[in-house]
Amino acid sequence: MVRSPGWVWGCPGWGGEGGRGLQRAQRGSDPGAVCILGVEGSFSGGPVVPWGDSGGQTLNSPVCFAGPDRAVLAPSIPRFVLQTRGRTPRMFSERAAPTAQGLLAPPSGEPPTFPRVPVAAYSDLSQPFRLGERSFCRQYAHVYAVRLAGMRPCLERRARGRWGEDIALRRLSELQEGEKCCVVGTLFKAMQLQPSILQEISEEHNLVPQPPLPKYIQPCDELMLEDELQRIKLEGAIDVQRLVTGTIVAVYGREEEDGKFLVEDHCLADLAPPLPWSGPSSDRFVLLASGLGLGSMSGEALLSTQLLVDVVTGQLGAEGEQSCAAHITRVILAGNLLSQNTQSRDTINKAKYLTKKTQAASVEAVKMLDEILLQLCSSVPVDVMPGEFDPTNYTLPQQPLHRCMLPLASAYATLRLVTNPYQASLDGVRFLGTSGQNISDIFKYSSMDDYLEILEWTLLAGHISPTAPDTLGCYPFYKSDPFILTECPHVYFCGNAPRFQSKLLQGKDGQRVLLVTVPDFSATQTACLVNLRDLSCQPITFSSFGADSEDGDMEVGH
Amino acid sequence: MGTVVFPGQERGRNSPHTFWDSSECSVRHGCPRALTPALGGRGVSGFLIKLTGQGFLTEVVFLGFFLFQVTYKWLSYTLGVHVNQAKQMLYDYVERKRRENSGAQLHVTYLVAGNLLQNGHVCHKVAVVREDELEAMKSKLSTIASVHVYSIQKALLKDSSPLYNTDYDIVKANLQHCSKFSAIQCAAAVPRTPPEAPRAPAPAQSPPRHRDPDGSSTLNGHGPRAAKAPPQQQKGIMGMFAAKAAAKGQDTAREAKAEAKEAPGVSATSSKPLTKNSIMNNFFGKAAMNKLKANSVPEQPKEEKEAVKPSVAVAEPESSPSTVAEKPGKKTESARIQQKDKKSKMKRADRSDDEEERDPENVKKKRKRIKQLVSDSSDEEDVPPSPTPEEERAPSPPPGPVLKTELEPAATEVSAGGRKRKRRRVLKSKMFIDEEEGCMVTEKVYESESCTDSEDEFPKPKAPAPQKQPMLPTKREPKEERKNPKKGAAPASRANKQVSITGFFQKK
Repeated sequence: MVRSPGWVWGCPGWGGEGGRGLQRAQRGSDPGAVCILGVEGSFSGGPVVPWGDSGGQTLNSPVCFAGPDRAVLAPSIPRFVLQTRGRTPRMFSERAAPTAQGLLAPPSGEPPTFPRVPVAAYSDLSQPFRLGERSFCRQYAHVYAVRLAGMRPCLERRARGRWGEDIALRRLSELQEGEKCCVVGTLFKAMQLQPSILQEISEEHNLVPQPPLPKYIQPCDELMLEDELQRIKLEGAIDVQRLVTGTIVAVYGREEEDGKFLVEDHCLADLAPPLPWSGPSSDRFVLLASGLGLGSMSGEALLSTQLLVDVVTGQLGAEGEQSCAAHITRVILAGNLLSQNTQSRDTINKAKYLTKKTQAASVEAVKMLDEILLQLCSSVPVDVMPGEFDPTNYTLPQQPLHRCMLPLASAYATLRLVTNPYQASLDGVRFLGTSGQNISDIFKYSSMDDYLEILEWTLLAGHISPTAPDTLGCYPFYKSDPFILTECPHVYFCGNAPRFQSKLLQGKDGQRVLLVTVPDFSATQTACLVNLRDLSCQPITFSSFGADSEDGDMEVGH
Repeated sequence: MGTVVFPGQERGRNSPHTFWDSSECSVRHGCPRALTPALGGRGVSGFLIKLTGQGFLTEVVFLGFFLFQVTYKWLSYTLGVHVNQAKQMLYDYVERKRRENSGAQLHVTYLVAGNLLQNGHVCHKVAVVREDELEAMKSKLSTIASVHVYSIQKALLKDSSPLYNTDYDIVKANLQHCSKFSAIQCAAAVPRTPPEAPRAPAPAQSPPRHRDPDGSSTLNGHGPRAAKAPPQQQKGIMGMFAAKAAAKGQDTAREAKAEAKEAPGVSATSSKPLTKNSIMNNFFGKAAMNKLKANSVPEQPKEEKEAVKPSVAVAEPESSPSTVAEKPGKKTESARIQQKDKKSKMKRADRSDDEEERDPENVKKKRKRIKQLVSDSSDEEDVPPSPTPEEERAPSPPPGPVLKTELEPAATEVSAGGRKRKRRRVLKSKMFIDEEEGCMVTEKVYESESCTDSEDEFPKPKAPAPQKQPMLPTKREPKEERKNPKKGAAPASRANKQVSITGFFQKK
């Protein structure tokens, strides 16, 4: 047997309690001397050896672990990866490096099997996004009314904090010409290019369909501020191009003679109050992926998807990598599981007798999805969010996919079909995210070009999807707006972004938010891993030959 | 390497099996017999597989070349060994072959994982690379996390999609325990309570399909699967190779299939028969696969068919696999019956293929027919050889139920005089002011209105009749059944159609 400095060899039944004891003892005498990584609780559910504590040293003397016996694993030999001091390993590669070549050897003995690290605490907090009764007879005005009512206190607080406690807070109806004051209201951006069904109807003569554009903004767009009763046109120090309809803002300035409001300054709701941090003290990973795009893929894209599944389920890689993958406690698939190509409109345009016997393209794709999910679910808990092209309702909040579509995978309790804005607490870390419609919609109606920037902006605006009833389909809420951010999540993500980006945002009140734009997997073959311990994030890219391995540009900002 | 013994995991089986013996594969000698069920069945199907030295692996890998290539996953599932062991086996095999200088034409792909610096940021890269690119990829990575053999093949791969296809079949065949040999075991990932699990999918899909008098819905539901799979598989050597083997391996396919089916199911989900077949595709390739794929379609409702015994006439020929295997006389008889009236078979091709496939004489016709089926499902529905039955098949069964729903948008009551009093539900929108909200609310409300329609008398009495007609014969007369729906129901349906048209014109 080969012994490398990076390895400690033990026996079945060792580990657990003793391992931890040892670690503590060693640390007590010489801080940072030994740190044992990996194989948490692998033996008869024994206590856990925490990962990722700061560095250790190579161990020279034999280590003895004590613990309950487990004969089943004989003659397999558990291995502990020793982490050496001086490095600050964060993600997979460093940890797995010592065993990288381990499988380039003839077979010897039964290889070890790693237990999936169990989820310590999980709670689905998406209840506000679940629709009970669905009545579509109401007007959308209520959404804006409840949004303004819900966010006004917060914005008034921000306004006082920014412009002084004695600032005059006025409604639009109370405005007096020339008086310096602050007004809280909803923005409305009048855009000429904004596609409108009314416009199409009114121009019935020689109707040309409005071309889809990447962005619908124009220099001549105008910004209005509305409150409960009236609206006023905004001018001055406010970035018209950047802001979007539906945002609640506080503006500071005065009304001019011409009836316009001259803005001197404005502010958004800013970060919501922080949640207490109760994340895990050892490394746990959550894999975020979006845009699998089943139903229109080449063999290579499919292979990448399969590689992703294989990494997570512990098929691929050497032992070190597999033991790392065992620390992926959850997989979140953020929408667009199916490709846009599965949404053929043939049935609408063609005569019925022509399409009677054709099968929707999504049928085959859903079957494939079922198989992929089955593979994942048999190894790891999976949360499946629907996205823009998935077979569920179109309007936000999108309701979970129906489990009858996934007969194989839904047999497993590890499969969770969840709503589109999805909020959950994983091991004490609050996740909130969407499948990306909110961000891509703002992208179209704002001058902001960067998905990460938009994502951050929505967090600062205190609202997940301000454009929702205006340019993005949304359920006509009338009692409350579930998209208002009342608590600051720890991980805030959006799916189906063009590329991976991430940023750790620090708030004034102690908020720490990891912002992640999860790239479209079918286009970039990239998913991302979030370490729950320290909210670090790393992209994980898959490639096969024949594909250009240099694609997919990454960016991580801090 | 010592001797590794894999304990039988499901059941013992001691009859030697004709699978390889009758096929033209020359691997037979030297290949432990124990291997065959492992290949034919799913993963380890209950043999004590003894791996003595490396010779065994040689054979396995050699066998794998018949499948065009061997991936670590394929090997793992096939031998029922841990994935990491499979990777090591492949590595060892390549090393030995190279040392013997006989591995000149071996092409190896590797999996490399590690840190890659992209735009100044660290990314965990997982790549499958050809051997010639291995060093280049390794040098790009700042830290290497894993390197292992991914697959071995004879041909140099231009792109990696064949790798996916190879794995796809074996994964699909082992879907129900796909993580069995992986290096991560998840305690939480257990199927929901056993009685619940099989029930959930079964009533959802199969029973309605089974009771459906018209086969068309079944066909529709599954056509594209058969249509889609073959092109994937035809790539590369495998397709060519398998096409040859298919002709001779005809009856072997039958045998193997029957035996595969005999394997006890772990859980009785509907995908089971499908998955069993797909492993066979590896061996019999293109032609056989068309057959098997199409074939697997009617097998899905198999489980309930036994439960729904009353409809023996339909279920009997394709009855459970064990009866097929044990009573060859019966089987050929039923096949002969079917040969007599091929037209009717066309009509219900999806069901009858099952037995056809076992009749060696039928091979060619069947193959052709299945192709038609395939193209049929993907839009154009004309079939050159016998357009009439095919044409009629589509309209004849549906008119009953369809007509009914179209003609009666509302509930009807038959009054004493035979006239119908019709009650219509009318959608009316009501607008009122909601006191609570202070807003106008528009609600759509169904209101029922009654009215008498003299035109409606006409189609009514006939509508129920054609609906029953195709159903009854199928249950009662097993042999006429095939002609009846075609000749009996079709005119009825035609009449039916006209009625509806006249009904339409009368309204004007």
